[in-house]
Amino acid sequence: MRRDALKILMLAAALLAPPSALPATARHPLLGQPAVDFALRSVAGTNVRLSEYRGDVVLLSFWGSRCGQCPPQLAALDRLQSTYGSAGLVTLGVNVDDDQAAAREFAQGRHLGFALLLDPAKSVARTYRVDALPLVVLVDRAGVVREVFRDFRSGAEDDYLVKVKALLDE
Amino acid sequence: MIEMRSLRRLLPTVLALATLSGTSVALCAEATVESPPVASAGPPPATRSLDEDIQSLKKDVVELNRDLFVLEEELLFPANTQVAVFLSMDVGTFFALDTVELRMDDKQVAKYLYTPREAEALLKGGVQRLYLGNLKLGGHELVALFNGKGPNGLDYSRGAQLKFEKAVGAKYLELKITDKQRKMQPEFEIKDWE
Repeated sequence: MRRDALKILMLAAALLAPPSALPATARHPLLGQPAVDFALRSVAGTNVRLSEYRGDVVLLSFWGSRCGQCPPQLAALDRLQSTYGSAGLVTLGVNVDDDQAAAREFAQGRHLGFALLLDPAKSVARTYRVDALPLVVLVDRAGVVREVFRDFRSGAEDDYLVKVKALLDE
Repeated sequence: MIEMRSLRRLLPTVLALATLSGTSVALCAEATVESPPVASAGPPPATRSLDEDIQSLKKDVVELNRDLFVLEEELLFPANTQVAVFLSMDVGTFFALDTVELRMDDKQVAKYLYTPREAEALLKGGVQRLYLGNLKLGGHELVALFNGKGPNGLDYSRGAQLKFEKAVGAKYLELKITDKQRKMQPEFEIKDWE
């Protein structure tokens, strides 16, 4: 009886799970694919287009002001950018909040050394299949998605560093 | 169409393979060729011939790629229904372009966000093809909405509208942004290239 109930519960959980959610270990479908171009407005007011950074290593970080892991992750990315920016690393933070004011307020409190872009319509987030925040996408100099990091835990900065350095050396 | 697209996708691979095979053949050829006289400059004739063949092959592939691209465009947008909208900008003292939205027969067909680099390219004389599509014969209406910063650095939005007749043959329209010195204002117009 209990087993049946458990089975029903598991089945319901499987059915209710969002179809796009990927297990943490699953290979991201964008890996090895050309990074889809986009243009977004930044918090600073200028427009930014991804394809203009062809030839640089681009680190896209999707974040939200309500995401608990995002502030430490953005701070880590800021350190990475300040060190490797001159070597060809371009970091772009893509905010997916509905409320742009919250994103602007969040950005004003931190003086990050990279552009924070606004994607209130979530069109770019959908294209890049963002199903968890924060999510980091690494694009190589040829414009191909090479790495996707789906969470930020302690030590993740070192993982970013290894991959970024490898791509910068290519 | 699908076959042609897959062919186009394959072209870079073919090119790479041709280059690689050419290189390996050239290396083999170099290995078998007897040592050249000390006085002669450049590669031996056999290698040179191979290099020329490879260059010729590369040229053919590039030409084929170009022809396929033209053919693809002709098939997707036949001249009888084709309509293309271009954008050009002159001077830009009174207007800094930010976005352009195109509405064809009250339906949004294009929306473009300009980066400073793209706006600069337009100011230097670049012409951008903003939209390429198909329209049936008859009367149509194009509305273009321009957003950016106006003469005083304030947000500035303007629209331009054109009613045109689509006849047999491709239709080319141009959105022109110019400065009107007399009024100290930007001017937006849509020009029909007859």
